[in-house]
Amino acid sequence: MRIGDLLLMSISSLWKRKVRTVLTVLGVVIGTASIVVMVSLGLGLNRSTMQNIEENGGLTSIQVWESGNFDSETSDKDRKRLDDELVKTIAANPHVELVSPVLSISVLAKCGAYENNLDIRGMSGEALARMNFPLASGEVPLAEDTLAFLYGNQILAGFMNSRTGSGYWMDGTIPDIDLQNDAIFIIYDMDSYYNSQGNQGGSGAGAAAVKPPKKYIAQCAGVIDGGLETYKSYSWSVYCNIVPMEAHLKRIFRGKAIPGQPLTATGKPYKEIYYNEIYVEADDMEHVAEVQKWITDMGYQTSSNTEWVDSTKKQYGYIQAVLGGIGAVSLIVAAIGITNTMMMSIYERTKEIGVMKVIGCDMRDIRSLFLLEAGFIGLIGGLVGIGFSFLISLVINRIVAGMGMEMTLSYIPAWLAGASVVFAVFVGMASGFFPALRAMRLSPLAAIRRG
Amino acid sequence: MKKDKTVITVSDLYKIYRVGETKVRALNGVDFSINRGEFCSIVGASGSGKSTLLNMLAGLEKPTKGEIVIAGEHMEKKSENGLVRFRQAHIGFIFQSFNLMDTMNAIENVALPLTFQGMDRRTRTRKAEQMLDMVGLTKYKKHKPTQMSGGQQQRVGVARALVVEPEIIFADEPTGNLDSRTSREVMELMQRVVREKKQTLIMVTHDNELAGFADRIFHIRDGKILKIEEKT
Ligand SMILES: Nc1ncnc2c1ncn2[C@@H]1O[C@H](COP(=O)(O)OP(=O)(O)OP(=O)(O)O)[C@@H](O)[C@H]1O
Ligand SMILES: [Mg+2]
Repeated sequence: MRIGDLLLMSISSLWKRKVRTVLTVLGVVIGTASIVVMVSLGLGLNRSTMQNIEENGGLTSIQVWESGNFDSETSDKDRKRLDDELVKTIAANPHVELVSPVLSISVLAKCGAYENNLDIRGMSGEALARMNFPLASGEVPLAEDTLAFLYGNQILAGFMNSRTGSGYWMDGTIPDIDLQNDAIFIIYDMDSYYNSQGNQGGSGAGAAAVKPPKKYIAQCAGVIDGGLETYKSYSWSVYCNIVPMEAHLKRIFRGKAIPGQPLTATGKPYKEIYYNEIYVEADDMEHVAEVQKWITDMGYQTSSNTEWVDSTKKQYGYIQAVLGGIGAVSLIVAAIGITNTMMMSIYERTKEIGVMKVIGCDMRDIRSLFLLEAGFIGLIGGLVGIGFSFLISLVINRIVAGMGMEMTLSYIPAWLAGASVVFAVFVGMASGFFPALRAMRLSPLAAIRRG
Repeated sequence: MKKDKTVITVSDLYKIYRVGETKVRALNGVDFSINRGEFCSIVGASGSGKSTLLNMLAGLEKPTKGEIVIAGEHMEKKSENGLVRFRQAHIGFIFQSFNLMDTMNAIENVALPLTFQGMDRRTRTRKAEQMLDMVGLTKYKKHKPTQMSGGQQQRVGVARALVVEPEIIFADEPTGNLDSRTSREVMELMQRVVREKKQTLIMVTHDNELAGFADRIFHIRDGKILKIEEKT
């Protein structure tokens, strides 16, 4: 028989028994929907966590620090510092997509009566662009000839009025500062600053008067979006391009040690600037652990989110399996329903099957007819079930959103939708297998017997 | 070339059913041969073994013992699939209770054996329509079985058996469910068509008058051929 004729015949025989077909399909709909919804919960949880991880430093990024443990015998020469050489070495690794040195320094920012201690992080323009900061205003400081700052979204909240002592965290008053446009002054030389402050406040006895350090006006590149309350890994930082930052610091601290930089045995600063941290992006999540180990083996300290990711994955894998198992029970019930329906159908059609055999229908075609019927029940059930699942998923996510949680609890990716339809068809055919065999083996004599 | 004319050869055929402890000898040693283009009828009392014989000739049942050679092939040696293929190619079957598909109209019913053979829709519909014209149902092509009389339904049944152009047609009491006038009409139709196409027809019947349409009449009693009556 031709495929088209087989399909038509099986559809028309389902159509002939509409009510029973619909009821059987309904079972498959419920079965498919419960599996899909259950699995989608596991996937949704997993995805929300992954997004969370990504916002907290990404899935592929690695932080590199100097190794902290040195005993007294470690000579200064052996000490592994973060320098340009290391940056080059790491960049040469084929699994590394991006490397940027990170130079950080603590400074004091002043704007009118407001003061704030800022942590400035200088990184390469490439790395800054890669971080994908959501911007409230301005732009990412990519220019290498001027020093400009990108403020984290919670920086504004950190400014305190030095006269009244009030601040956002104290009494909720939002500082009257426009980070983008107001003139903000930065004091880099904190030691000198506090020394001079101490002089003014003290009785003047003893130490010679210390001149307060120079203030530099800060140029603002942009402000990161997110509001004063949302915390992300970047919320408290001020970012700038490392090239102008290095130049600027060298100018300010000419002949002196830049704060945070190591000193020689004789207390002199080195010529080269050493970094506080190196930021590395691997090309793929799969390679993070490998790259990380490679760097650790060179004698540095590293950190990434791989372990977090791995444990999360494992955990949600279990949850998914359990939820899917619960859903599977209802599909098994549906499968039994299909088998039952097909059996009934064969009993009813004993004579018809016999006639078909007598007038020349292959055994294989009879089997195919029944398998197709069962497969159709699975297919229709699967398709409707998927539609139903999307509906349930929507409702669940609405409810979750209504409770004020910022996540999609139920997530149905395309592969899940596709796989569940295929699975439903498979279950249908598997349920129809024994009935189909039975139909195939029915005696053609049934056609001749009366009644 | 005498052998070439023989289309069915049955030798030493037995069919024994076991019902509990007792054995029922439905066929108890049957030998005969039938020539191409012959119209044979089988008559006998109820339970004499007529249907059993016909079913075995059509390959619907396996004999307990003996040989059945049709068109040069041994029926008793074929697998079930082999029998299906043999029936597709050589055999048409007409049922007492018509056995048409309720959901299909006359054309679709007649075309069904061709559908099973894998013929395309256009060709098989054309052939089915030709057959329906031939059995005089031109006006009833789109009717479903429930919209036709018994005689009309059996005409569809005849058309369905003949559409594959089989060498041999088996009919088990084809007029058993029809009144005597309609029975005659259907008989005349079958006789005419079979003569035209030189097909072999083997028919079981209770009715001696209808048996008289045949070239030869096989009388059966208790699973044995009592006599073969030749008509001149
Ligand atoms: N499947 C079976 N199992 C046991 N005995 C059977 C079976 N089929 C037929 N028989 C017996 O074989 C004998 C012949 O039956 P068969 O159906 O051939 O009779 P028949 O001549 O066609 O009768 P009728 O004219 O009533 O149709 C009967 O005695 C019947 O009881
Ligand atoms: Mg009988």
